[in-house]
Amino acid sequence: MRLGSPELALLVLALPFASFLALALIRPLRRSGRPAAAVSILAMAAALGAAAAMTWEASPAARGLNPARLWSWLPADGGPMASVGVWVDGMAMQMCVLVALISLLVQIYSWSYLADEPPPSLGRYYAYHSLFAFSMLGLVLSPGFLQMFVFWELVGLCSYLLIGYWYDRPSAARAAVKAFWITKLGDLGFVAGIVMLWAATGTFDFWPLFQAAQAGALHVDGLTTIMFLIYLGAVGKSAQFPLHVWLPDAMEGPTPVSALIHAATMVTAGVYMVARVHPLFELVPPVLTLIAWVGAFTALLAATMACVERDIKRVLAYSTVSQLGYMMAANGAGAPEAAFQHLTTHGVFKALLFLGAGIVIHHFHTNDVFRMGGLFVQRPWVGGAFLVATLALAGVWPLPGFFSKEAVLAGVLDARLSVPFLMLIATSFLTAFYMFRVVFLAFFGQARDHHEHPAPPVAMDAVCRGLALLTLALGLRAALGRHHAEGPAWLPWVSLAWALAGITLAWATYQAHAVDPARLATALAPIDFLARRRYFLDALFAGTYRVLLLGLSRVVGWVDRYLVDGVLNALSAGALRAGDTARRLQTGHPQDYVYGVALGVLLLLVWAQLG
Amino acid sequence: MTEILGFWVAAVVLVAASLAVVLTPNLFHAVLWLAVALVATGGVFLLLDSPFLFAVQLLLYAGGVVTIVVFAIMLTERLVGESIRQTSRFVFNGAVLAAAVFVGIMGFLLQAGVVARPAASGDQLRDLGRALVGPFGGPLQLLGVLLVIALLGALYFARAED
Amino acid sequence: MPLTGYLVLAALVFVIGLFGVLTRRNAVGILLGIELMLNAVNINLVAFSRFRADVAGLIFTLFTIAITVAEIAVGLAIVIVIFRVRRTIEADHLDLLRG
Repeated sequence: MRLGSPELALLVLALPFASFLALALIRPLRRSGRPAAAVSILAMAAALGAAAAMTWEASPAARGLNPARLWSWLPADGGPMASVGVWVDGMAMQMCVLVALISLLVQIYSWSYLADEPPPSLGRYYAYHSLFAFSMLGLVLSPGFLQMFVFWELVGLCSYLLIGYWYDRPSAARAAVKAFWITKLGDLGFVAGIVMLWAATGTFDFWPLFQAAQAGALHVDGLTTIMFLIYLGAVGKSAQFPLHVWLPDAMEGPTPVSALIHAATMVTAGVYMVARVHPLFELVPPVLTLIAWVGAFTALLAATMACVERDIKRVLAYSTVSQLGYMMAANGAGAPEAAFQHLTTHGVFKALLFLGAGIVIHHFHTNDVFRMGGLFVQRPWVGGAFLVATLALAGVWPLPGFFSKEAVLAGVLDARLSVPFLMLIATSFLTAFYMFRVVFLAFFGQARDHHEHPAPPVAMDAVCRGLALLTLALGLRAALGRHHAEGPAWLPWVSLAWALAGITLAWATYQAHAVDPARLATALAPIDFLARRRYFLDALFAGTYRVLLLGLSRVVGWVDRYLVDGVLNALSAGALRAGDTARRLQTGHPQDYVYGVALGVLLLLVWAQLG
Repeated sequence: MTEILGFWVAAVVLVAASLAVVLTPNLFHAVLWLAVALVATGGVFLLLDSPFLFAVQLLLYAGGVVTIVVFAIMLTERLVGESIRQTSRFVFNGAVLAAAVFVGIMGFLLQAGVVARPAASGDQLRDLGRALVGPFGGPLQLLGVLLVIALLGALYFARAED
Repeated sequence: MPLTGYLVLAALVFVIGLFGVLTRRNAVGILLGIELMLNAVNINLVAFSRFRADVAGLIFTLFTIAITVAEIAVGLAIVIVIFRVRRTIEADHLDLLRG
């Protein structure tokens, strides 16, 4: 095991935070647009350098060494109640590099993609980006549940801010709120689980918890429930069924944002968390089985929905949900390393897909794949990069997606989860199909319009080419070296065969036109029907919200207006009425006052006699 | 024997006159009945072996006070020729309350036992005089001041409009 | 006649005076009622002085009479002023204290 230096980790955190502070507090800088972008990009580049240095200089350490460096935060008797700090082990360092790299590339890409934005908005955009980078890195480097939760929420906030970046678009605003709401549902479970765990064990920090778990000394009542609640946080954040409905709508944000946070980094936080806390999940096998099943099911469900989408970004969104399901299935199968491997490779090629889609949308001025065509001939480099990413996603050798997918499948098979395995195989078929559907429709076939389009901007093009090269490099590294077959020998052949079958079907349907898509749809009519309506899940959520939440607020409002206010109003009205009645005693006639005195004397006499 | 007879005469006259004071519609008549009541009170004082107080009562009360009240009535008569009429308000309520207070006092009186000491013999007047300038000298002077103040006050109130 | 008799007489006169204060409309009439009440108090004081052989009762009575005279004088002066200002001395019309 290799451990990195905590000081470099703090530097990695500090750089984007400093950029955010600068942009947030120095108003003229932020409103200037391009300079703000430059500040953010430079800070990100430096952070990437620090993360790379951290990985490079990571020193090997004994297995039992504590990778966390803590500072006390909330003091209490007998040791601090909560600590903050950094946890720098191999997984954290790799994730830091991934987050920093993708963030940097996306920020460079945005320089061109959002070139038409007014400078104050651009400054705001980059401020959000810096905050997001800081939050994500903080989450990755967290040594305990409390700090992780704080950054978890910060990341959710950045997602909301960035989805709703064009806040004057009602659909974007609604999508941002929806994302926030749905992930918040998961977070409810998360925080409940964290608090219950703390109540039972007295600590938030991973190291003592893992030590106790591995020594078999963690005796907590209801640990299954607690870990399930903690898993719920991942359900929300990583778009597992049924809380996946926010991710497709999150495509309302700018495409680079989708590439960064809804493909490579934020949504993977759930997967990362489950992988990080695996020693605790190992103690509750039923929850792990559930995670695997839900993951596989999510993968299959999302894949069916991607097959019927017209919007290229939505296809990619469902694809992300599907791949997140893959990762979670690996987590549930007890193979967190495989999950993390797929996380990193997917991060790279999914970001490339999104950024490439950005160029495609930029070129055709539409998101609808059925209005595209023939781009490969016009822009071969763009097409090439996109193709590399698609092949990686489909899981074709020798690209990295093949190896990571194989690792996931091997893990699931190893855990004897046969139905999830079958679901994942079916998903890989569908993945290849719908991705190549997009490729054939957008890049091949007849071009709809024949006028000249300008070349894509340099920044966008360069970033895509860079990511494509990185994808190829990762694939080659995996092919040449480390990752030998971990599962049965037939597994790579089977997964490859299914992927190729999917590609063939897509080719036959959308390129060679040998198969009619409409006949295909009627053949699978029930699934087609449900998939087109997103399995009514959105409607279910909206209906529940309307009935339960709005109904509840109406009831509460009634209670507040008529009972709470009513009591107050009644009291004050009563006081007024009593006052009005009492003032009639003051008639102003002195004789009436004498009456009063006489009555008083009478009472006095009676009292004197009685006493 | 004579004492008891005298008491009853004085008592009846006093009570009758008092009732007349409060019940007569004509205010002027009420004042006259008040004079009768005050004289009857003087008689009661006499029965209680206080001739000095009998004299004082006649001089100040029956003489001075009644005169002043008559003047006031004359000055506040609304129009020439209109005799002062008035009807009382809420007679029943007043009667009930008054009766209740009376019952209360009676009850208290009958319940509390009062021990009588033997009557003092000799000249009360001398003791009275000595007490006035002795232990009660201070209050006597203050009384004088009070009378001066009252006089000034009445003068101020009654001055002519200017 | 026992002491109680005089006390009862005084109480009776007092209560009649109270009745007068409560029911009379004319301000002067009210003052007459007050006169009766003070008178009754005097009877009480003298009776006690006689039956307890204490001269203080007589002194008290003397003071009371003097003060009553002063009070009547000032009270009637006030009544006259009120009559001048408001042209009425009916108690029901003098309700400036009304709340």
